[in-house]
Amino acid sequence: MTTVSQSVSDTHESPRIVAAHAVNLVKSYGSGDAEVRALKGINLEFEKGKFTAVMGPSGSGKSTLMHCMAGLDVPTSGQTFIGELEVGNLNDASLTQLRRDRIGFIFQSFNLVPTLTAGENITLPVDLAGGKVDKQWFDFLVGELGIADRLSHRPSEMSGGQQQRTACARALIRRPELIFADEPTGNLDSNSSSEMLAFLRRSVTEYHQSIVMVTHDARGAAYADRVVFLADGELVGELISPSADAVLERMKQLGN
Amino acid sequence: MWRITIKGLLAHKLRLALTGLAIVLGVTFVTGTFVLTDTLHNTFTGLFNKVYQNIDLEIRGTAAFSNPSGGTAIRKPFSESLLSRVRAVPGVTIADGGVGGYAQYVAKNGKAITTGGAPTIGATFEPDRQLSSLKLVEGTGPQNASQVVMDQGTARKYGFHVGDRVEILLPGAPQTFTISGIVRFGTANNLAGATIAAFQLATAQRLFGKVGQLDTIDIIVASGANRSTVGRSVAAMLPRGVEVVTGQTVANEDSSSINQALGFFSTGLLVFAFISLFVGAFTIFNTFSIIVGQRTRELALLRIIGASERQIFRSVLLEAFLLGLAASIVGLGLGVLTAMGLDALLKAFGIALPQGPLVFAPRTVVVALIVGVGVTVISAISPARRAVRIPPIAALASYLRASAESPRRRFVIGVAIGALGVLALVVGVGKPAIQLVGLGAVAIFIGVGMLAPLVARPISGVLGRPLAAIFGASGKLGRRNSMRSPRRTAQTASALMVGLALVSTFTVFGASISQSATSGIKDAVIADYIITASSAGAPQSGFSAAAAAAVARVPGVTTVSSINGGMFEFRRSVLNLTAISPQDVSRTVILRMDSGAGASALSNGDLLIDTTTANSKHLQVGERIRVTFAETGPTTVRIGGIFKSNAVLGSYVVGDNFFRSHFAANTLPVAILLRASRGSSAGTTAAIRAGLESYPNLKIQTRAQFIETQQAQVNQLLGLIYALLALAILIALIGIVNTLMLSVFERTREIGLLRAVGMRRRQVRAMIRSEAVILSVFGAVIGIVVGTGLGVALADSLKQQGITDISVPYASLAIFLVVAALLGLAAATWPARRAAQLNVLDAIAVE
Repeated sequence: MTTVSQSVSDTHESPRIVAAHAVNLVKSYGSGDAEVRALKGINLEFEKGKFTAVMGPSGSGKSTLMHCMAGLDVPTSGQTFIGELEVGNLNDASLTQLRRDRIGFIFQSFNLVPTLTAGENITLPVDLAGGKVDKQWFDFLVGELGIADRLSHRPSEMSGGQQQRTACARALIRRPELIFADEPTGNLDSNSSSEMLAFLRRSVTEYHQSIVMVTHDARGAAYADRVVFLADGELVGELISPSADAVLERMKQLGN
Repeated sequence: MWRITIKGLLAHKLRLALTGLAIVLGVTFVTGTFVLTDTLHNTFTGLFNKVYQNIDLEIRGTAAFSNPSGGTAIRKPFSESLLSRVRAVPGVTIADGGVGGYAQYVAKNGKAITTGGAPTIGATFEPDRQLSSLKLVEGTGPQNASQVVMDQGTARKYGFHVGDRVEILLPGAPQTFTISGIVRFGTANNLAGATIAAFQLATAQRLFGKVGQLDTIDIIVASGANRSTVGRSVAAMLPRGVEVVTGQTVANEDSSSINQALGFFSTGLLVFAFISLFVGAFTIFNTFSIIVGQRTRELALLRIIGASERQIFRSVLLEAFLLGLAASIVGLGLGVLTAMGLDALLKAFGIALPQGPLVFAPRTVVVALIVGVGVTVISAISPARRAVRIPPIAALASYLRASAESPRRRFVIGVAIGALGVLALVVGVGKPAIQLVGLGAVAIFIGVGMLAPLVARPISGVLGRPLAAIFGASGKLGRRNSMRSPRRTAQTASALMVGLALVSTFTVFGASISQSATSGIKDAVIADYIITASSAGAPQSGFSAAAAAAVARVPGVTTVSSINGGMFEFRRSVLNLTAISPQDVSRTVILRMDSGAGASALSNGDLLIDTTTANSKHLQVGERIRVTFAETGPTTVRIGGIFKSNAVLGSYVVGDNFFRSHFAANTLPVAILLRASRGSSAGTTAAIRAGLESYPNLKIQTRAQFIETQQAQVNQLLGLIYALLALAILIALIGIVNTLMLSVFERTREIGLLRAVGMRRRQVRAMIRSEAVILSVFGAVIGIVVGTGLGVALADSLKQQGITDISVPYASLAIFLVVAALLGLAAATWPARRAAQLNVLDAIAVE
């Protein structure tokens, strides 16, 4: 384990570097009277090697923010960057490559391809890139996540927790610059939830992975280094290294 | 429920259109066939009625038996002296005699004008304008022995005008005539592609070897006289073997012989139309199965809120009914357009059809609707039953679809249906009963279709392995997708399976025929050259008898033996008789005797039969059998010998002398066999060509070329069958497109996920294409295996009929496999594009 974490630290050691940022990010749907502004000019940075949580009530625009930052959705105006790369300038092929090579995703549900085994799902981004799997890193991840004995199972043969941990391993397999997690524990029981969040926390602390997690669970947000709050498409504050209670208190103020 | 059904239909227009297309194409085929043949039927009947409308009575020789192949009966001519006596009968105002025979034009470029199967008619120009079926449109009738009138169709197509000189091939030596006039046959430019050359009576009699004789006398009865009274008085004076009939009878006979041919044509096309519909049925069955699967939750919800099983069942069938109805109506419209197009196409190819309105019979509408709606509804019954079995609990998210039926049950039923099919096929081929053969094939296909899901997973796994190796992750995913629902894969592939099975059956069957013909001819003929008419296979495929004498004068030719053909009746069936000169038999053909004598029996006027016939009809050497000839009536003939089946001679052979005593002297030879002193050398070939220069309609072939021609004929027929089966293959491909589209739709989230984690559009397309290739190759493999089995069985069962060699053309079958893979690739184009263009965000946001 030491060698692995060592190699990760080497590349991600330098502090206070921005992994991704948004400049005057606006996203609106529809036009004219029917126009809905989901994001109203967001300026935001996600720090490298940090665990950032994005919180806000339903309809606050937190998922839209994540989709725009990750290149899944196109902003109406403004810019988003992954590292120094402006996402808005990319065509579909480059966007795909960006997602494949530099970003990891964990969704709330339906994270796995049903026809592939857990092991195949984990290596999918590598296979799609036509690359070679780092066997050591793979073994380490599945050991850490406790799914080593589940690798030949299909998603339908695994529990929800196992499925999400498999998705976790897939997000980490290429050691992406940034992982976007959209309500990753939304469908899990509290035990699985805690295990999952603890693992994400550990991957940030120990291997300097950068993670952005969208959530509306205050307990989950408490695992993050920093929590940013969104309401009605606007940034309305942030907390550094918060407790669950502090997050809950802030959410109450936002009228959740 | 009605409103839900309609809404459901409208919500899935694309699915509707693709599924409906399978039925549209089948119904188009059926409608087109009916409209085209009905139209032809009607115009021909109308034409003949018009042509004969002025003729009250016709005198002609009686026919001993009718021609089974649908042509007009063979009749013996009678003495010309009858004409003057007929003219003297009270009530007869006009009576003209005529004779007919072989007359083929030579075009200005020196090539014989061929008709692609239609007859080349030589006739008498009857001078009476009212009586003659030939209507002058230009010039005059023939005024002397060197003049001819030509049909307008030939004149227009080959650029002949009144006053031009034209060479005509005749039973005797070719002669040149001057065109005195251009005629129409009734209202048509010519008779469905037949060429007409009409001469003065005396000229025709001389040219056709009927001096002093007549084939017909046409009569117009005086306006006041009673036709039947006159008919009776004419009949009273006729000698034996001559009869009088009304013009209407002649018209009816002529149109019925053409309509009989049209009937075969129509039946042949309908067989292929129904094959298309059968393949379409597989597609519909599959689509409805998938739709029911996708709507499980919706249907279960309907059950929860109170829909009865019956209502669900009816809802699915109603959807099928409406789909079938809409598709059939579209198919009807397209069918009429197709018929019009085909009519135009035939005309463009120079087959001048008489003008007539398009016939759209009520029967066409009824059959098209019944067939189109019926096939759709019947195909949807099984999916509808599956829909009924969905329990209300399936509406809940946690419900896992249980596999409803056991593989063992499927296996037992599939094997049972398949076995019944094989049984029906074997009995059907043995009888032979073509309907039973068809039914057997249908049952075999359904049985195989039922068994296919049992092997779909392993076979797609094996087929997909190379794709996974080539295309990496995309290939692997495509392979897994094809394995995830074996039933869907099998059902989709089944449609293509049927198409390719039929293609393979015909290929194996055709190759066996071709192979048998080759080895048959090798064992049958030792002649160096075989000379036949260039439009072989035409009803009157004979040629000038004078050609034999001409070729005999060619230096180097040592043996010339003419082969004549005719028909006779034995035990109530009309059979083909071959005649050859006994002294040449041993030098031109291989006659292996099983018992009795060969050449000497032919010289004695005995009949030779082949072993197969002797066995099946229980005939022995020395037996005397009663046979009937068209011209000379009943007689007895002795069986002089039994020979091993010979591909060239046929089953019944007589000597020249015997033949001449029972057939008209002017019967045309069908082939000339030659031996040359130096074999088939280039020099001899050139000499023979030079010697036969004035007979441009002759095809001069060496033995090797003759064999090639036989093979080419089989291949030409195969080509036609492939073309007709192409529609079935097309429908099967539409089925693949449809399934893939439904799968893409169903897997929207999954594709979105793949795109989100970095799958390129190109890779998405490769994934869908891999699945399509696996689907189609799976169908092709099963189809080719089943088809090869059917083809071998069919060829084997016809051993008695002369298919001695069974040949499986592996190269062709391998090509089919490759073509199937390419077609699958093509079918994937649209679904693949659609999948690649899915918006990633929309896809993952679908809930």
